[in-house]
Amino acid sequence: MVTKLRKFSTNTATKITAFILVVICITAAVAQMQYLAYKSTGMEKVFVSEYRYSQTFANDADNVFSQVHRAILEGGSEISGDSEFYYYITDGNKVISNPQNTNRRFFEQYDKAFYAFEKGVRTAGNNTYAEPINRYNLDSNYTMYIAFTNEYLDKKQMEWQEERNTLIPILAGGAACATAAMILIVFLIVVTGRKPEDEELHLSRLDNVYTDVLLGAYMPIGLFWLLAVGGVSNEVINGTSYQNKTLNGYHVASMIGVGINTSLVSTMCLLILLSLVRKIKGGRLLKHSLAYTVSFKIHDFFKSIFDGRMFSKYPLTKSLFYRQMVFIASSVAIIFFMAVFLLARSPLALLFPVFEVVIIYWYIKGNNRTFGDINNGFSESFQEQMRAERTKIELVTNVSHDLKTPLTSIISYVDLLSREENMSETARDYVRILEEKSNRLKNIVSDLFDLAKSTSGDIALELERLDMKKLIEQTLGDMEDNIIKSQLQMKIKLPDHPVFIKSDGKKLYRVFQNVIDNALKYSLEGTRVFLELEELDGKAVAAIKNIAASEMDFTADEVLQRFNRGDKSRTTEGSGLGLSIAESFTKVCGGNFKVDIDGDLFKVTISFNLDRNIT
Amino acid sequence: MDQAKILVADDDREIAGAIEALLKREGYEVVKAHNGLEALDAIVTQQIHLILMDIMMPKLDGLSATMKIREQKNIPIIILSAKSEDSDKILGLSMGADDYMTKPFNPQELVARVKSQLRRYLMLGDIGNTGRSSQLEVGGLCLNTDSKQLYVDGEEVRLTAKEYKILELLMSNAGIVFSAESIYERCWNADAFSVENTVMVHIRRIREKIEINPKEPKYLKVVWGIGYKIEKI
Repeated sequence: MVTKLRKFSTNTATKITAFILVVICITAAVAQMQYLAYKSTGMEKVFVSEYRYSQTFANDADNVFSQVHRAILEGGSEISGDSEFYYYITDGNKVISNPQNTNRRFFEQYDKAFYAFEKGVRTAGNNTYAEPINRYNLDSNYTMYIAFTNEYLDKKQMEWQEERNTLIPILAGGAACATAAMILIVFLIVVTGRKPEDEELHLSRLDNVYTDVLLGAYMPIGLFWLLAVGGVSNEVINGTSYQNKTLNGYHVASMIGVGINTSLVSTMCLLILLSLVRKIKGGRLLKHSLAYTVSFKIHDFFKSIFDGRMFSKYPLTKSLFYRQMVFIASSVAIIFFMAVFLLARSPLALLFPVFEVVIIYWYIKGNNRTFGDINNGFSESFQEQMRAERTKIELVTNVSHDLKTPLTSIISYVDLLSREENMSETARDYVRILEEKSNRLKNIVSDLFDLAKSTSGDIALELERLDMKKLIEQTLGDMEDNIIKSQLQMKIKLPDHPVFIKSDGKKLYRVFQNVIDNALKYSLEGTRVFLELEELDGKAVAAIKNIAASEMDFTADEVLQRFNRGDKSRTTEGSGLGLSIAESFTKVCGGNFKVDIDGDLFKVTISFNLDRNIT
Repeated sequence: MDQAKILVADDDREIAGAIEALLKREGYEVVKAHNGLEALDAIVTQQIHLILMDIMMPKLDGLSATMKIREQKNIPIIILSAKSEDSDKILGLSMGADDYMTKPFNPQELVARVKSQLRRYLMLGDIGNTGRSSQLEVGGLCLNTDSKQLYVDGEEVRLTAKEYKILELLMSNAGIVFSAESIYERCWNADAFSVENTVMVHIRRIREKIEINPKEPKYLKVVWGIGYKIEKI
C-alpha cells in the first residue's frame, strides 16, 4: 500500500499534473482578486453584513453632514439627494431643513440612522452607528439633526447584500484556490527529486545553476509581475473602474494579460522553488552557490600562497615551509614600516629596501640549498631503484639458468631412454609422457624467462619502421598449418595500403602469434575468428575476436595475469603465459594491449601509433 | 674416413654424459671436458673434428676458449648454452663459433646440427675454396646456378622451380631484405597484388627443406613487417 502510494506520488505524470494544477490555481486566485478589484470599491462588504454599520455608510453620512453644513454657511446651496434623508440645521438665526416638522422627536423616530449635534453635544439614535457623527466637528452654536429614511437604508442594504452575495463566493473561491495551491506546493516539495524506481535524489539540469543565481532570478521575475499588477491597481485607484459595476472589454483584456503573466511568473517561481528544494535535499544549497564557489576559490588561492604545510611532514621540504613563513612575515613587516616612515617623511624609509634585498638573498640561498638536498635524495633513491632492478634481472637470469641446466639433462636422458629397445609397452608409455611433459616444462621456462625480461624492462629492442599489415599477413602465412588444423574459419579484414608503425618486428610477431594461437586454441569448434586492422585517429588498431569454447568465468584483467587459463584448458599444452607475454611485449614496443570479454566473445585489441614519417 | 671425434665441453657431468650417449649412438667417438682449460688441452693432444662448447664453465669460459681455439684451428664449434638472448647468440657467433644452440635443446636437432657441421668440415672442406662463378654459397647452402641444384651441407635438396627462383634471388643478394611484392614480381614475372600469403607459404616450404629447425631458421629469415632475406654468413 505504502509503496503503491509512493509509486503514484513520485510518478512523473503525477508531478507534472500537480505542477500544472498549482499554476492554474495561482492564476485563478489572482484573476479572482483582480475581478474583485474591478467589481467593487472594497472588501468591507465581506466583513460587515449591514450597510448602516459600514465605513461606506459613514463616508456617505459624512458627505451629507458637510453638504448640510455648507448649505447654511454659504446660504441657499443645493443639497443633492435630499429625498434620502431629513435634515435640520440652525446657527441660532438662520434655519434650513427639509421636513416641516423640525422637532427633534420627528427625527428621533428614524433611530436606525439618526444623528444630532446640539450645544456641542453629539448624540445618535439608539440603533445608530455613532462613528460618523463622532468624527464630525461643528461649532457649539450650531444645532443639527440628520435622519436617513428607512426606504433609503433598505434600498442601500439590498444593494449591499447583493454585492455581498457575489463577492463572498468569489473570495471563497480565491481562498480555496490559494489553499489548494499551497497544499500542492507542499506535495511537490516533498516529492521533488524522487522517482518511483529508487530512493536516490535525482537532480535536473536547472539544479546546475548556482543557488544565488536562482534566488536572484526571483527579483526580475517578481518585478515583472508587480509591473502588471501595479498597472491594474493604478487603474483601480485612479478610478477608471471606480464604481463601475460592469466589466468592459478593456477589463477582460487586462485580466487575460495579467493571467498569462501570472501563470508564467508562477511557473518560473515554482521551478526555481523546487530546484532550491532539491538542493536542500541534496545538502548542497549553500555549497553550490556562486558566492560559495568564488569565496572558496579565493580562499584556496590564498591558501595555496601560504600552503607550505603540506610539505612540513617531509623532512627535506620542512625547511622550505618555515623559510617561506619567515620570508612572507618579514616582507610584510618591512613594507609596513617603510610605509610608516614614508608617511613620517623620514629618510630612514630608504633603509627598508636594503633589508628586503637582504631577506630575498637569504631566501633564495636557503631554497637553493634545500633543492640541492632534494635532488640528491631523489637521485639516490633513483639509483637505489636501478640497483634493485638490476638485482631482479640478475636473479631472473640465474634462476632461469638453474632451471635450464637440469631440464637439459632431463630432456636428453628421456630422449635416450625413448631409444632403448628392451622396454615393455607400459614403460614406453611412461617415457612418452615424460617426453611430452619435459617439453612443456621447457616451453614454460622459456616463456617465463621472456616475460620476466620484458616486464623488468631489460630487453633489447630493435625498433624500426614496419608495415603492420604485412606483419599480420606474414604471421598468418607462418601459422597457416595451425589455422588449417584448427578447422576454424579466419575472417581477415586488412586495409589495402601499408600501415606503418614503429616497432620491433620479432616481438610484434610473437604478439600476433600468441594472440592468434590463443584464439585457435580456445575457440568453439566451427566458429569464426575475426582479425581486423584499421587506422583510427592516428593509430593502427588490430582486433582479434573469437568465441570461447568454454565459459569465461574470469575478467579481462585476470586473463592477463600470469598462468591464468580457463580451467578446462589447463591440461592442454602451452605455458599459459601467451597473452601475458603478448601484452608485455606490446607495451615494451610502445603499443597498447587491451582484452575485452563480453559473454562468450573474447576480443584482443592491439594498437600502435602510426608512423607518419616518410622515409 | 674413420669415426669423427667430438669434444663435449660442459661442466655439468650429466649433460656431458647425455650428449656422449646421444652421439655414440650415432657412431661418433666422444671426448669429454669439464672446463675451458681441459677443452684446450684436449684439442692439442687429440685429433678433434668438432667441439660442443658450453659457455658458463669454471676456470675458462666457453667464449674465451672458442677465441683461443680459433687462433690456431678451424674445427667447427657449436656453442650450447642456457643463454638464450639474441645478443648472446650474436656474441657467440662473432667469437668464431659456427652454430649456437640454446639449452634445453632438442637432442635430435643437436644430432642433426652436428652432422651438418661435420659434413661441411670433413667432406666439402675444399669445394668452397674453388669458388666457381656458377655457384652461390651461403654457409652450408650451395646453389649451383648451372645445374639448378641445391646442396645443404653437401646433400642435395630438391626444389620446385619457384622455390629455386626465390632462393637464387635471395642468395645472390645475401643480407638484403626483399619485400613479398618484389620477390613475387621477379620470380613470378607478374604484377604483385595481395601476395604476402603466397610468398610466405613458399618461404615456409623452403625453410622446411633447408633449415634444421624451421622455427629457428639459420639462413632464411623473415624480417617481420618488412620482408625476407638470406642471412649473410
